Amino acid sequence: MAKNDLQGTLDLLVLKTLDQNGTLHGYGIVLHIQSASNDLLRVEEGSLYPALHRMEQNGWISSEWSLTETNRRAKYYKLTPQGRRQLEAAQESFDQLVRGVRAVLRYA
Amino acid sequence: MALFRRLTNLFRQRDLDRDIADELQSHIDLRVESNLADGMSPEEARRDALLRFGNPTSTRERVAAFDASLALAGFGRDIRYAARQLRKSPGFTFTVIATLAIGIGVNVAIFSSMDAVVLRPLAVPALDRVMVLSEQQQRGKQPVTLADFTDLQRQNRSFEDLAVLQGADYTLSGAGDAAQINADLVSASFFSVLRTQAFVGRVFDQSECQPGRDAVAVLNYGFWKRHFGANSSIIGQKIQLDQHDYTIIGVLPRTMQYPPAVDMLLPFAPTPAQLSDRTDHAYLVIGRARDGATLKSAQSEMQIISERLSKSYPATNQGWTIHIEPLLNDINGDLTPLYYKLIMGATMFVLLVVCANVANLQLARGVARRSEIAMRTALGATRRRIIRQLLTENILLALAGAGLGIAFAAIYLHLTLVLMPARVARYIPGWDNISVNGRALTFSVLLAVFSGIVAGLAPSIEALRIRLVDQLRSGSRQATGHSRLRSIFAVAQISLAVALVIGAALMAKGMSSMFHQADVYSPEKILTLHPELPAKRYDTPEKQADWYSNALDRLRSLPGTSRVELASALPYTDSGWQLDLTIENRPTAPGKLQTAVRLAVTPGYFDAFHIPILDGRNFTQGDSMHSTPVAIVSRRFADLYLSGASPIGHRIRLGDNKTPQPWLTIVGVSQEANYGLWENDLPPAVYTSFAQQPLSGSVITVFAKSEPMSLATPARKALASIDAAVPLDPVLTYRNLIRDNLVGLIYADSMLALDAFIALLLSAIGIFAVMANLVGERTREIGVRLAMGATKEDVLRMIIRRASWLTGTGLVIGLALAFALARLVANLLRGVRPDDPMTFAAVTITVVGIALAASWFPARQASRVEPMKALRSE
Repeated sequence: MAKNDLQGTLDLLVLKTLDQNGTLHGYGIVLHIQSASNDLLRVEEGSLYPALHRMEQNGWISSEWSLTETNRRAKYYKLTPQGRRQLEAAQESFDQLVRGVRAVLRYA
Repeated sequence: MALFRRLTNLFRQRDLDRDIADELQSHIDLRVESNLADGMSPEEARRDALLRFGNPTSTRERVAAFDASLALAGFGRDIRYAARQLRKSPGFTFTVIATLAIGIGVNVAIFSSMDAVVLRPLAVPALDRVMVLSEQQQRGKQPVTLADFTDLQRQNRSFEDLAVLQGADYTLSGAGDAAQINADLVSASFFSVLRTQAFVGRVFDQSECQPGRDAVAVLNYGFWKRHFGANSSIIGQKIQLDQHDYTIIGVLPRTMQYPPAVDMLLPFAPTPAQLSDRTDHAYLVIGRARDGATLKSAQSEMQIISERLSKSYPATNQGWTIHIEPLLNDINGDLTPLYYKLIMGATMFVLLVVCANVANLQLARGVARRSEIAMRTALGATRRRIIRQLLTENILLALAGAGLGIAFAAIYLHLTLVLMPARVARYIPGWDNISVNGRALTFSVLLAVFSGIVAGLAPSIEALRIRLVDQLRSGSRQATGHSRLRSIFAVAQISLAVALVIGAALMAKGMSSMFHQADVYSPEKILTLHPELPAKRYDTPEKQADWYSNALDRLRSLPGTSRVELASALPYTDSGWQLDLTIENRPTAPGKLQTAVRLAVTPGYFDAFHIPILDGRNFTQGDSMHSTPVAIVSRRFADLYLSGASPIGHRIRLGDNKTPQPWLTIVGVSQEANYGLWENDLPPAVYTSFAQQPLSGSVITVFAKSEPMSLATPARKALASIDAAVPLDPVLTYRNLIRDNLVGLIYADSMLALDAFIALLLSAIGIFAVMANLVGERTREIGVRLAMGATKEDVLRMIIRRASWLTGTGLVIGLALAFALARLVANLLRGVRPDDPMTFAAVTITVVGIALAASWFPARQASRVEPMKALRSE
C-alpha cells in the first residue's frame, strides 16, 4: 500500500528539487518549484521550513550555512544518500497514487 | 543518528532557536531583495515578503518542534525542571544525596570485593566447568593416586582434559634471604584445563614434564612481584631450589593466583614407580568438563569407573569412589562465602534503611510541595506527567548519589586492601583483583534506579491523593493519612537498625572472646618464629634435633628473654592434624576410627602454657633419641579410648600402618588445652617430646621480659649463625599470630559494625524527621490545647508518647529480626549465644535512648508554641 498523503507530496517536490539542483537554500527551493511547474505549484513559504527541518532530522537532507550570490548568509540544503533512497521510494509511491486516483476517476 | 541529533539538540536549545530565526529571516530578506529587483518600493517589497511568508513566530515554533521530538524535549524539560527544584532546597538535596551515596557506596564496595573473592576468584573462562576430583572412602575425601589418575584420564568421557597437581616445599637460595617457598608440581595440562597463558614468557609443555627435562619454573604473579620486584628480565635466569638449578621461563597473570599461596609451578615429571602406585593418595586432580556434561552426568560416570577400578584392583581400590566438586567451592571453602553473604545481607539492609529514609524525606517535602502540585494539576498537568516528573527527580538524586557512592566505594576498597596483612592476603585467591569493577558499576546504577523508584513512588502516589479543591482553598498544612506512611518508614528503619546493631554487637562479642581466649598467656609478650628445616640437608632426626638444641641454647642466652620453648602448634592457632591411632592390645571395632592430635613439645612447654600434668610425669632431659619413646596424653584421651582407666604404661602408635611409627609408652596425663581457634570440641591429644622425635618445622616461642619485637633481630641473628639458610618467617608476636588468623572475622565484623552504625544514624534522622514534621503539622492543635489550659509538660508528654510508640513498635519487630540474625551469627562463631540477654538489653536501651533524644528537640519545640501566634497564623 502506498503512502499517499499530501504532506508526502511536498517532501517529494523538495527532494526532487534538491536532486536536480545539488544545493539550494529554502528560498531557492520555493522559486525552483514555482518555475519548474510553470507557476502551477506555489509552495506556501512558511510551511516549507518545518518540512525541511523534519526531513533533516530524518537524515534525508543535510544543511550548511553559506553565502548567496549577493553575499547574503543563507542556509543551504543538500540531499543525503538516505534522502536519495527516500526520493526513489516517494516517487514510486506518488506514481501509485496518481495511477490509483486516475483509475478511480475513469470509472466514476 | 537521528536520535543522537535530537539528544544533542536538547542541550543547545538556545543556539538552535537563533539558528532557526536566522534562517527564516534570510528567506524573507531574499524575497525582499528579489521584490526590489522586480521594481517594488522598499516598503512594498517588505510587506509582500511578510505576507507571503505568514506568521514568522508560529513558523519558528513549528520548525523548532521538529528539531527536538516532543517526548525527548519533555524529558529534557523534566530533567531541567527537576534540577531547578532540587537547587531550590539544597539542604534536602544534600541530605538525600549523601544518604544515598553511603548506601550505594557500601553496597558497591562489598559487591566489588565479593565479586573478586567469591564469585570470580580466578580469571578462568567458564570457571564453573572446572572440577576437582577426589577419591573417597568411609574416612572421607582424599587426593587421588597416580595410577588411578592415569586410568581416569584414559577412560572418562566427561572431561576434556584432566590435570594433576602435587604440593612441594623448597628452599629458594641464590637470591637474597633464603626463603621457604611453596611450589606445585603440575602436569602441562594444568594450563589448558584452566585456559591460562603466561603473562610474561611462556608456560611449560608436555615435553618438559619428563624426569631430566623438568628444570623450569613458572612463577605466580604475587611471588614475582614480592620476590623479584615484577622485573621481566628474570625470564631465562636461573634460581636454586634445594640447591638444584631451575630456569625461570614465565610468569602467570595476576588473576591466576591458583593454587592459593603457591609461589611457583614446576613440571610434574612422574617416575614409572609413581605412575603405577595405587596407594599413595597424594595428587590433586582438576578437570575441565566437556560441553554438555553436567556435574550429575560426570558424577555417575565416575561411579562406573570407580566400580571398574575396584573390580580390577580389589586390594587397593576396594571401597574407594571418585567424587567431583566444582573448583569454585574448593577455592572458597565454607567460611568466606558465608561471611560475604552475611555482610552483603547486612549491607542490603542498610540500603533498605537508606531508601526508607529518602522516602521519608521525600514525604516531608511532598507536603511542602502540595500546593505546587495542586497548581500544576489545575493548570492541566496529567497524573502521569506529574508522577513522571517526581520520578525523574528521584532518579536524578539517585544517580548523583551513585556517582558519589562510587567515589566512596573506591576509598573504602583502597582502605581494605591496605589494611589486610600481606601474609593473609596471599591465601585469599582473588584478593589482589579487588577493585571497583564494571559489574559493580552496573550493580550500583541498578541500585540507584531501584532506590529512586522505591523512594519516589510512595510520595508520588501520596502527592496525587490530594483533593485539588481543598488544597487550593485552604492553602494550608493539615495532617492527613500520609503521616501513617511516614510512621511506617520510621518504624521500619528502627527495626532494621536494631537487628543490625544486635547482630554486629554479638559478632563483635564473639570475636573479642576469641581474640582474648589466649590472654592468660600474655600473648603480647611472646615472640614466635616459624623455622622450617630444609628436608634435603636435615634428612635425619639427629641433624634436626641438633639444630633445635643449638637454637634453643642460643636463644635462651639472649638478654631480655625469660624462657624459650618449642612446639609444633600453639593453643588457639591451629588444630593440627588428626592422626590415626592404635593402642596396643586393644583392637578397634571395624569401621570405628581412633584419632588424636599430635603435638611435639619441649618439657617446659606445659608449664609455660599452663597445662598441668595430672598424673605420671613430664618429659625430661633423659627422654632422648636413645631412650624409650614416650608420650603424654590428654585426659580426654583416657576418657575416650581407655574408658577412663589410667593410660600410664599403655603403648600407642600414631599414623597409619603403612609407614610404621615407633610404639610410644604413655608416661603422663595432662589437662585439656584448646588448640582450635574455631572448634569448640577438644580432640584427644598426644604430646611427644621434641628432643626425642623432632619435626622439620615448629614454632619457637620466645617469652620476652619487655617488648618482644625488639628481640626479633637478635633472635634472627642468633639463628642465622647456626645456619643462614633456614627460613624463619613469619616472625611476630603470639597475639598478632592469633589476630592474623581472625582477620577475616575482624573484617566481617567491622563491616557489620559500620553497617549498624549507619543504620542507627539514619534511623535517628528518620525519627527526628517524623517527629519534627508531626510537630509542624500539629502546631495549631497544640496552640489550641495550650490555650485551653494544657501545660507545657502535657504537650511534651503527648509528643514523646507518640515517639515512644513508634520506637516501641520498631523495637519489637527489630528484636524478632535480631533473634533470627543472632542464630545465624551463633552458627558462625563460638562464644555467641542467640539469646544473649546482656547484648539484647544494652542495644534496646541504646536505641530507645537515641530515638528519644532525636525526638526531644521537636517535642521541646512543641512545648514552646505560643498559643496566640499559632492560632493567628491560620
